[in-house]
Amino acid sequence: MTNKTNEKKVHSGSVNWYLWIGLFMTVTAVCMAVLGMFWTPYSTTAMSAAERFHAPTWRHLFGTDNFGRDIFSRVMHGAGTTIVVSAFVVLISGSLGILIGATTGYFGGILDEALMRIVDAINGFPSILLALVMISLLGSGRHNLILSLGIVFTPSFIRIVRSEFIRLRDADYIRRARLMGVGRARILFVHILPNIFSTFWVSVMIGFNNAILAESGMSYLGIGVLPPDASLGNMLSDAQGYLTRAPWYALSPGLTIVWIVLGFALLSEGIRRSGEEVSHE
Amino acid sequence: MSDRTTLVQIEDLTVKFPGNPAISHVNLTVERGEILGIVGESGSGKSVTALTLMGLLADDAQICSGQILFDGQVMAQAGRAQDKALYRRYQGARMSMIFQEPMTSLNPTGKVGAQVEEMLLLHTDLPKEERRRKVCERFAAVGLKSPEILYGCYPHQLSGGMRQRVMIAMATILHPDLLVADEPTTALDVTIQNQVIALLKEINEREKNAMIFITHDLNLARRICDRILVMQNGQVVESGRTEAIFEHPQEAYTKRLIAAVPKRKRGEEAVVTQQPPVVEVAHLNVFYPKQKTGFFKKNEKQLVVSDANFVIRQGETLGLVGESGCGKSSLSKAILGMNRDITGEVRHASVRPQMIFQDPYSSLNPAKTVEWLLTEPLRAAAARDDAWKMTADKRRELVCEMLRKIGMDESYLHRKPSQLSGGQRQRISIGQALITRPALVIADEPVSALDVTLQAQVMDLMKKLQREMGVAYLFISHDINVVYRMSDRIMVMKDGRIIEQGETKQIFEAPQEAYTKLLLAES
Amino acid sequence: MAYQSIRLFGKKIITLIMTLFLVSVAAFLAFQIIPGDVVTAILGTEATPEREEQLREELGLNDPPLVRYTHWIGGVLKGDFGRSYRYSKSMNEMMPVAELIGDKLPVTLWLAVLSVLLIIVVSIPLGVFWVRSKNRILDAVLNVLTQTTMAVPSFFLGILVTYFFGMVLKWFTPGGYVSYRDDFAGFLRYLIFPAISVALPKIAMTARFLRNSMLTEQSQDYVRTARSKGCSSRRIMYGHVLRNALMPVITFLGMIIAEIVAGSIVVEQVFGLPGVGRLLISSISNRDFPVVEILILYITAVVIIVYFWVDMLYRVINPQISKQ
Repeated sequence: MTNKTNEKKVHSGSVNWYLWIGLFMTVTAVCMAVLGMFWTPYSTTAMSAAERFHAPTWRHLFGTDNFGRDIFSRVMHGAGTTIVVSAFVVLISGSLGILIGATTGYFGGILDEALMRIVDAINGFPSILLALVMISLLGSGRHNLILSLGIVFTPSFIRIVRSEFIRLRDADYIRRARLMGVGRARILFVHILPNIFSTFWVSVMIGFNNAILAESGMSYLGIGVLPPDASLGNMLSDAQGYLTRAPWYALSPGLTIVWIVLGFALLSEGIRRSGEEVSHE
Repeated sequence: MSDRTTLVQIEDLTVKFPGNPAISHVNLTVERGEILGIVGESGSGKSVTALTLMGLLADDAQICSGQILFDGQVMAQAGRAQDKALYRRYQGARMSMIFQEPMTSLNPTGKVGAQVEEMLLLHTDLPKEERRRKVCERFAAVGLKSPEILYGCYPHQLSGGMRQRVMIAMATILHPDLLVADEPTTALDVTIQNQVIALLKEINEREKNAMIFITHDLNLARRICDRILVMQNGQVVESGRTEAIFEHPQEAYTKRLIAAVPKRKRGEEAVVTQQPPVVEVAHLNVFYPKQKTGFFKKNEKQLVVSDANFVIRQGETLGLVGESGCGKSSLSKAILGMNRDITGEVRHASVRPQMIFQDPYSSLNPAKTVEWLLTEPLRAAAARDDAWKMTADKRRELVCEMLRKIGMDESYLHRKPSQLSGGQRQRISIGQALITRPALVIADEPVSALDVTLQAQVMDLMKKLQREMGVAYLFISHDINVVYRMSDRIMVMKDGRIIEQGETKQIFEAPQEAYTKLLLAES
Repeated sequence: MAYQSIRLFGKKIITLIMTLFLVSVAAFLAFQIIPGDVVTAILGTEATPEREEQLREELGLNDPPLVRYTHWIGGVLKGDFGRSYRYSKSMNEMMPVAELIGDKLPVTLWLAVLSVLLIIVVSIPLGVFWVRSKNRILDAVLNVLTQTTMAVPSFFLGILVTYFFGMVLKWFTPGGYVSYRDDFAGFLRYLIFPAISVALPKIAMTARFLRNSMLTEQSQDYVRTARSKGCSSRRIMYGHVLRNALMPVITFLGMIIAEIVAGSIVVEQVFGLPGVGRLLISSISNRDFPVVEILILYITAVVIIVYFWVDMLYRVINPQISKQ
């Protein structure tokens, strides 16, 4: 009955550049990283005094570092570390988020209240600070980093999942499902869950990006992934000392982080836009 | 009445949005002092016509043919860019508009006084105190009490009716030649609706301005308008004096529209059955928690339904009428067992009554297909009752049979709700509620969100299924005419009490309570 | 009305104090249960058992946790923040945490203040400009530009800033930190560059957030009402839309400020600033828990107090909330 004078999105019908560029960037990054786990053009650890600080050439795409190691190989390897760590972080926090958020959101009650107080308190906090505290309790290293970031990121997922479940638990179609006598578990995971996937997916993508930034930040500070294990963050930390001598050393891992994060951000925006276009029709 | 000249003249107007034409070749005129009604269902182009006239179209809309004249001045013309400066001088001062949603139409963070005053600020040179005085005067003129206090209030502090009065005060403060009212009462309760209509009519008579009244409600248009213009799919179907349109409609669509309006006329006589009851309600009180947020949370209870007594018998329809907030929904929830905070007795003869909701868009799970939606009740029933255990083929057969019963077919099986129209969704809802053959279905405003022609279809479908399956309905609505058409017996509810109940005919012909009479008089 | 506001204010203050108390308990206890003996960490593995026992007694490690907590928090309230395990003041005396933190605090605070100012001054006009420009190409450029900026981690941004402004353009000397005690203007001039590194991604975020908020507001019904009154698009933007659109931005900025307090930890490392962030990192690596505890308590307090004021500001500006 209302004829809203809503502005329609301008770009309906045109190519969804965000989606395709984002997809391209993400796919190349992930492929290189996965490849880097099995094969790199050069050894990531072999040092060579003769080849120190070579600027990028066709032989060494990203040049060589202070030990004469091939930076491209190390970036491939480091990107693998960063992506795997972040993927595990999102996997842990996402699944905990769904389990806890779904049950507390749907059933409510005192447990939910208490939990939300804690979640709110944690959520208000800068995540890197919490991760620092966790790390100082657990100690550094790859596994502890995954565990601490996983725990630190869980509350934000709980919050999103919970608010979606609260929104939907009183939706007319869920009320009717209850009247039909559908069981609780089935309502939670068969009736409601498919309806929150689009929202959840967006937050997974944001969470993944935040995890990448957090991981590389911690590794940069020397309390995340520790050398000789290569990660984009600790490469940057090494490279900072040679900024005048070999700027490419810092640029390579840095721009790789930007590439991965930007690719993912564009991809999620592209997905969001294509979703909007579908719902407009 | 002697100086009747044409104020607005719209000639051959066609407006397009990217992709779809909104209105095409619309002609209309508005005389000074008259009220012109534009009537049509949603998507008929009535609002677009008004917005084009007011110069309020979105930037991507385009006038493809025709022109708009206001008091002899060409306001807009095909092929010419909109003259925004010209429009700004006219908007508010000479033509103004009232919208459907009084809550969202006012700026939530602005004081209502200042928002009305902005009109004077934009179009006059009055000093500050003078402006304030005029605003308060206007508040009083539209029937708002203590205007000085009201001046400093924010929209959320006012009731819906008060907000709409503020909107009217704003729109009429500069005594515009033309007032456009777009569904001004649709979001309001019946009694408030009536007051607002009376106010608009009073203003029209007092100030002799012209008015365009846009509505989907033919009855309403009949009560207020001098002339009526019927629109469908962006075109003018028919126009003429109100009596002429109602008594001698020329076009098929107009006839259909008038016929679809629930009138106090029934095809079949009410069936008064002596069947056994499917539900008996005795001395039912329903409470609602009233949350007080303080340092110590006190949980107070509020009585929302008090001492309800009635029975619903097999195969009959019991209508329940009342305005929003009267306790209709709380009563239905209590019957369904969704609210357990009750005293008294609700005795069901069978298990699991089902429910049909108002909004066809939110009552079907958007992630599922029609087939899944219709099968799920069978699966749920099978999980509790061995009698419903059956093979997948048998289920599918039942689902297809139900689809045919609700006037659809197998081709819809794999569609999702987003691929169905509002009417089709409501049909699926009905099918979903009835597929497990419940003895009682509670229908909470099942047709209120639908256009009039669809309303009639859905009600006919419900009646047909009732005959075929012997289901009883508790039919809840705020619209007494809709209830009349559906029900065998009627209950009237006010402030949590059932104030009157009886056979439909008896309630309509000889209402006992003053409130019932009021409801009947207003519709 | 006034009475209610005071009551609300009082309630919020009590909540604030309760939260700080809980955090102090958590921060203290967390570092009591972790593995690794502090005494061994300080003395090394070759100390005699007598020396170890003496140190334990000195540090009060033999008392039950509750006694130690009371002792610690009592000291904190009186301004005695305890002593570092690592840094010594003289041969026989360990460095008091208060002194350790004292001259590092202004560096971090000024960095945060400069960054927040930068964010507010740049992002709000940028967001408004973005919405007002109807140019599709400009819109796309701003979109990609802000997306890219948000994808740059602040430490890498710091390195880029160091490289371009410090080494290529030579606008400042990387590592050439000037103490605020010696030359305050020089101190601020040096801090500008770290502040830019902290602020840039947040500017992009805030501008995008404001833009989306304004686009949402622009499609609201009250904007149509304003147009029907004959308001110019300028008046609609500044008189109606901006005010409503800024409401969520205020809360968003509160979160951003909290992030900045933490984000500066990393940037301090990049620019070699002697702020509390670097101290925190080194104390974590050194297991210097008295320092870590105090710093966590301090950062928490800053974050909570920022939230408190943002919440108050929001209540003052938004009439809809004050009714509850």
